[in-house]
Amino acid sequence: MAAADSPSTALRRRDLCSRGIRLAGKMRADVVDLLDAYVERQGLDASASVAAVEGVPLAAVERWDEQTGTQRLLENLAAYRAFRALLAQMLEEQREQLGEADAGLGRALAAVLLQVSAFTYHLEELLRLESRGIPGEEEDGPPPPPRLSIFEQKLRGLGVLRELAQWAVRSARDLRQLAKPSPATGAAPGLPESP
Amino acid sequence: MFSRWNWVACGFYLMLNICSPDASGGLVQSCGHIIPESPVLPLGSNFTALCILNESCLDFGNIYANQIIWKVKNRVVPKEQYREINRTVSSVTFNDTSSLATPLTCNILADGQIEQNIYGITVTVGLAPEKPKNLSCIVHQMSKSTYHMTCTWDPGRHTFLDTKFRLRYSWPEDIFPDCIPKGVNNSCTFHDVHFFVNTEIWVEAANALGKAESDPLILDPVDIVKPLSPQNISVIPEVLPTALKLSWENLISHSVIRLKFNIRYKILGDTNWMEIPAEDTASHRTSFSVQGLRPYTEYVFSIRCMKEDGVGYWSDWSEEKTGITTEEKPSKGPPIWRIIDASHSPASWTVHLLWKALRPFEANGVILQYEVTVRDKSSLSGPLKKYNVTSTNHTLQLPNGTYEVTVIARNSAGASPPSVLLIPANNSKGPVTNLRTLPKHDKLWVGWTAPNSYVLKYVIEWCLVSSSSDCIIEWQIAPGNVQGIDLKGIKPFKCYLITVYPLYADGQGSGQSVKAYLKQDRPSKGPIVQTKKVGKAEAVLTWNHLTVDEQNGFIRNYTIVYKTIDGNETVVTVDPSKTEYTLSSLTSDTLYTVRMMASTDNGSRSGPDFTFTTQKFGKGEIEAIVVPVCLAFLLIVLLGVLFCFNKRDLIKKHIWPIVPDPSKSNIAQWSPQVPAKHNFNSKDQMYPEGSFTDVSVVEIEADDKKSFSEQDLKPFDLLKKEKSTSEGHSSGIGGSSCMSSPRQSVSDSDEGETTQNTSSTVQYSTVVLNGYRDQTPVQVFSRSESTQPLLDSEERSEDHAGGADSTAQRQQYFRQHGAQDETNTDRPCFERPKQITHADEGDLVGFVQLQFSGQSSQPLGLGMEKNIQEAALSNVFQTSTEGQTLRPETVEENPLSVDEMPKSYLPQTVRQGGYMPQ
Repeated sequence: MAAADSPSTALRRRDLCSRGIRLAGKMRADVVDLLDAYVERQGLDASASVAAVEGVPLAAVERWDEQTGTQRLLENLAAYRAFRALLAQMLEEQREQLGEADAGLGRALAAVLLQVSAFTYHLEELLRLESRGIPGEEEDGPPPPPRLSIFEQKLRGLGVLRELAQWAVRSARDLRQLAKPSPATGAAPGLPESP
Repeated sequence: MFSRWNWVACGFYLMLNICSPDASGGLVQSCGHIIPESPVLPLGSNFTALCILNESCLDFGNIYANQIIWKVKNRVVPKEQYREINRTVSSVTFNDTSSLATPLTCNILADGQIEQNIYGITVTVGLAPEKPKNLSCIVHQMSKSTYHMTCTWDPGRHTFLDTKFRLRYSWPEDIFPDCIPKGVNNSCTFHDVHFFVNTEIWVEAANALGKAESDPLILDPVDIVKPLSPQNISVIPEVLPTALKLSWENLISHSVIRLKFNIRYKILGDTNWMEIPAEDTASHRTSFSVQGLRPYTEYVFSIRCMKEDGVGYWSDWSEEKTGITTEEKPSKGPPIWRIIDASHSPASWTVHLLWKALRPFEANGVILQYEVTVRDKSSLSGPLKKYNVTSTNHTLQLPNGTYEVTVIARNSAGASPPSVLLIPANNSKGPVTNLRTLPKHDKLWVGWTAPNSYVLKYVIEWCLVSSSSDCIIEWQIAPGNVQGIDLKGIKPFKCYLITVYPLYADGQGSGQSVKAYLKQDRPSKGPIVQTKKVGKAEAVLTWNHLTVDEQNGFIRNYTIVYKTIDGNETVVTVDPSKTEYTLSSLTSDTLYTVRMMASTDNGSRSGPDFTFTTQKFGKGEIEAIVVPVCLAFLLIVLLGVLFCFNKRDLIKKHIWPIVPDPSKSNIAQWSPQVPAKHNFNSKDQMYPEGSFTDVSVVEIEADDKKSFSEQDLKPFDLLKKEKSTSEGHSSGIGGSSCMSSPRQSVSDSDEGETTQNTSSTVQYSTVVLNGYRDQTPVQVFSRSESTQPLLDSEERSEDHAGGADSTAQRQQYFRQHGAQDETNTDRPCFERPKQITHADEGDLVGFVQLQFSGQSSQPLGLGMEKNIQEAALSNVFQTSTEGQTLRPETVEENPLSVDEMPKSYLPQTVRQGGYMPQ
């Protein structure tokens, strides 16, 4: 984090954090709703256990409170870039499997994808405010996914959505942490506590 | 010849070139074309077009650019706008494209006269789009997770061209599909909206002449959200009777948008809403407890919401939801009053206790019952009587005295404070004064001046006064510190009786009453007037008061309008208390029309017209005329009678002169013809039956006939005929009466009249004797000194002397006036009909002889005489026809006089006027 922020930078960061937190909250709510629809439409069991999805960083992390702001932003950015690619792939696979028969699920997936994209933009803007270079997408992007069966694609989709829901919670907490006034920048108004 | 064929060939070639497919595959190979091809031009700009001829047409058709004619929609463009660039190119220039029209054609004059079209273009004129302005957007929440963003803008001026608008929407790293308006050019709606990312929104407008973009609108769509209003509102009573808890469901997740709320409420049925202070509901929530409400009152609630930070739009108000607060004990006791009926017994009262149901905000619940307590204050040991009543009145029979009545209202939550009413033995306290009313819109204000003593409160009683229903008392209690109150529920045009009682701590004052109207109108009908008495110059009019239901206000006066048919109206104003009025100075025997009008403060109403006719004579006028006339008449009659009585000798002398009795005449004494053989003693011997004819004494004057007109005699025509027939077998009478007239006897026969006319005043007397028992009668003549005219019967007897029947039937009598005079002198004339006699019932037929005096010396009594005569005649006639016979007293005497008569007389010559009464 920069040692000294100008007032406009502080306001900009606060605004980005504020809207990022609410976006994360909305994203989580939408993902939770989407999970229900996805399980139903794909014929899956909501209680099915899914192994960790390859290429998706885990939201759970040890010593979360010891992370720096930049570290948080970078982890978030990596995760959401991965989610963006995975969701785009899921949307493509869903269109291939169901065609236009289940447009509602496709629209919901597209909406979540847009929110992930928007959150990624928020993270990039915050990183810019940190005067940090934004890592290139290629070097941080997940490796091309292996060819999976349809069932495996469904299970992977379920795992992506579940992990995204987890990340939405963590991202909100990360941004709230970032929005806390630093000693160097002075006091800043509090942000909403929820979610 | 060559030239002619040359032009024909040229025209044919031109046509062929225009109409035949060209070498390139087109349908037409034109001899030229226009540049530019179908341009779109800005309105108001200048424009130049070129028409370029093909070289091939030059060779075969001798067509050159100087032959080109430009036309705009069949209108030739002036030559001044042409310019021949070379022999194959001609241009035309328009300084203002607004004068252009479609199509613009290039034509050529072939053979100098035939105009052929070479080419044409379509020219479109319009404007480039303006920059769209005033772009604004709003995000409507359509469902829990669906939002639509609608943006509107001002498209600018009309371009006259097909202009496309596109609403564009982009994130910093993403551009979303454009929104294309459908059917409009100033709004468009995105159906996929994402929050929490700054979004750039702008409008592009484009047509053939250009393209324009609005200023971009950069916003987070979450800041322009109009959320859906809260749903599933429920209202739950709280423990407190003055609170209700509202719960609802927000259709927008608090994780997405935090909301603030407005809560409004009102009592069911009210129109004005109250709002919970905004700061109490400025945070996101799903319930709220509304306090400060009335117990047991139904409230209506409605909620709306918007983003908590106030950026965005308020939602619509939610659907209304009602809830009722719980009960609380009544806040006050019911107002109480009484009506005392002391008419049944002087020693006790029937007390009707009345109290008003508490208003909802006072009752605070459902009143289950009222507890009435009556305590006799006059005796300390009097029992306390309690009654539980569910209605709002209670009737008690109480001995006269002073009582304290207490009423408590009770609901499920408790009892109200008691309401106390003191019923004193008498209302001897001071009343209010200066009681007055004043209408105020739909209320009637009642004001008064308070008494000097301290008044606890006032009771105002009022009732609608109506002729069709009883006065149902309503009442209201006013606090003691006011001196006026508004009465509600007062109907306009109705009369109210208002009474105000002051209530003191130790009793109550007597009531003061006033009648009042909230609003007056003219009477609904007018009074019906009629006459009670009509005189010559005055008429007494009477009417009934209008009923109170018909008055519609205070009757201020009555107005009587009366007039004759052609006269002026006369208007009289009458005091409203009157029911009678006398119209005076009227014209006698005149038809009057009367109309009566009742007036209130707000108008008048007339009753039906009534007509009457004044009398011709006033009271007593007829009597004043008739009585004196009758008296005068009677006086004259009386004087006449007295005069007649005093001059009776003179009258008798003129009217009934004494006819000398021939039998007593001197000649009878000296006649030598009286032989002894005729001196019969026996009556039968001297005058055998039927041997005498009648002797009538008739005095006729020539003037008499004139005195009686034919008409006067007509009523007696029938009688005359009867007499004429009767005279055939009876003739004359010996007697006469003052009613009889010699003339009448004469007039009985026309022949007699003729005779009379000729004989005039000849005085004579004839005695006719029949032969005795078939013996030849001896004609004896005796001169008479009488001036009586010759009797008709006598002549007739002569005429019919040869008739055996008539002779045989005729009963002849001889009667002298002299004998009658002696017997009838003192009798009234009206008794004369009694002298009509029948000598022999078997042989004689009754007859009537009438004698009218044409020389009546009493003209005034003529009529009466005639009437009496008619009456007498009628009587006699009836008597005669009925076969009844009147036997006069003189019947016995006549034969005696006949006995004394000599059988024969010698004629005696007497000078006229020489008669000497014997």
